[in-house]
Amino acid sequence: MAKRDIPEINAGSMADIAFLLLIFFLVTTTMEKDTAYIRYIPQKLDSPIPPPEIEQRNIFEIRANAANRLMIRGKIIENPDDISERVLEFYRMNRNLTASQTAAYIKNPSYKGIDFPFYSRVTMDEVKRKINENLDELDKAEAEEKDDFITFYDKMVKNWQKKEQALKTLKVNELIEIHPQAHIRVVVQQKTEYRLFAKIHSEIQEALVELRNEAAEKYFGESYSKMRKRLDQDKEDKKGDGKKIKALEVLYPESIIEVKPKG
Amino acid sequence: MSKFRKENKKGAPGVNTSSLPDIVFMLLFFFMVATTTKESDPTVEVTRPEGVSATDLTPYKQRSEIDFLYIGEPRNSKRAADFKLGHALFLDNVAQPQPGELYSTNSIASWKQDKWNSKPPNMNEPISNVITCIKADKGVPTILIFDIREALQEIDALKIAYAVEDKSAY
Repeated sequence: MAKRDIPEINAGSMADIAFLLLIFFLVTTTMEKDTAYIRYIPQKLDSPIPPPEIEQRNIFEIRANAANRLMIRGKIIENPDDISERVLEFYRMNRNLTASQTAAYIKNPSYKGIDFPFYSRVTMDEVKRKINENLDELDKAEAEEKDDFITFYDKMVKNWQKKEQALKTLKVNELIEIHPQAHIRVVVQQKTEYRLFAKIHSEIQEALVELRNEAAEKYFGESYSKMRKRLDQDKEDKKGDGKKIKALEVLYPESIIEVKPKG
Repeated sequence: MSKFRKENKKGAPGVNTSSLPDIVFMLLFFFMVATTTKESDPTVEVTRPEGVSATDLTPYKQRSEIDFLYIGEPRNSKRAADFKLGHALFLDNVAQPQPGELYSTNSIASWKQDKWNSKPPNMNEPISNVITCIKADKGVPTILIFDIREALQEIDALKIAYAVEDKSAY
């Protein structure tokens, strides 16, 4: 059989097709990434349990007024960039105290860190005991069909289980954790601009990431931000970053209360 | 003068365009990789505030675990007076009766619930884990953010995200 020439395909319009696709993608997409601060709204309770008394030292209050001026723990702050340093101070002040130092300083009103939250140590046995205690309470609440109590104790059980997991991941015998009531409180007024509200969250996040980075370097020899990024890329979590990240978030939780402006 | 005239008039040789598709495809792939799809063009003016260390929402977006809502001054300034403090909402992917329809904060709960009900079957996150991303303009009074939070609290959609423009160096 004679060799027949294969006719060439005319590729002249290929460029047109590619251009068309290109322009379609140019129009429907954006270069900018969506970046945000993830926060949680507290669950709505039908009959709110009265909040427990919180010691002043465990509250880190950031106030912003309608004229976009800031106040931290009762003092006026001119530069919003200082918030993160103040948050770090709040977390770090009493962090490196030993158990006996903590016991001594907590009663000493002239100690410089008296107005800052103290850290406590929780051992594995205690965590396990707490889990069982709360499970018993949960059973009781379920028997009595009190919905709010069920949600409350359910949360408590999950909370302690997280700590148990964190202890295992960090491979330590006791968890040095900030006072569970220590929190950052954001109080704004109705007309405070969102710009400032976002700035406050930005500063808080900056401080928390720094604290978690430190802890991550100490326990895992790698930074928290790096692990976060890797986890985002790798859904199967081959390196076990998920657990580590959770443990770090137990060490430095995002306890932020955002207070609805009144009036 | 004929001495100087060229003998045979040749036109300029044609440019070889056979590699043009390759170049354009290269550009195309670059844009496909480097960009993300826009969810919609809001009809409210939104300039995001700046922040650092923000979480990248791309992984959530890929799993469609996220709903966007925009809040800012309406582009059509005549309509500003219809809304609380002159700032309206624009909800993404809503079946809009008219183009450019804007909403007040009391429409959030039904929007979120509708969106959740019409999620693809492979998306089995409970509503409390589906992020509501608030893209608010710099100048939005914070009370409106709290109104949104309250509306979301009613339907147990408890995870929210405050969008910012991330200025931290990568």
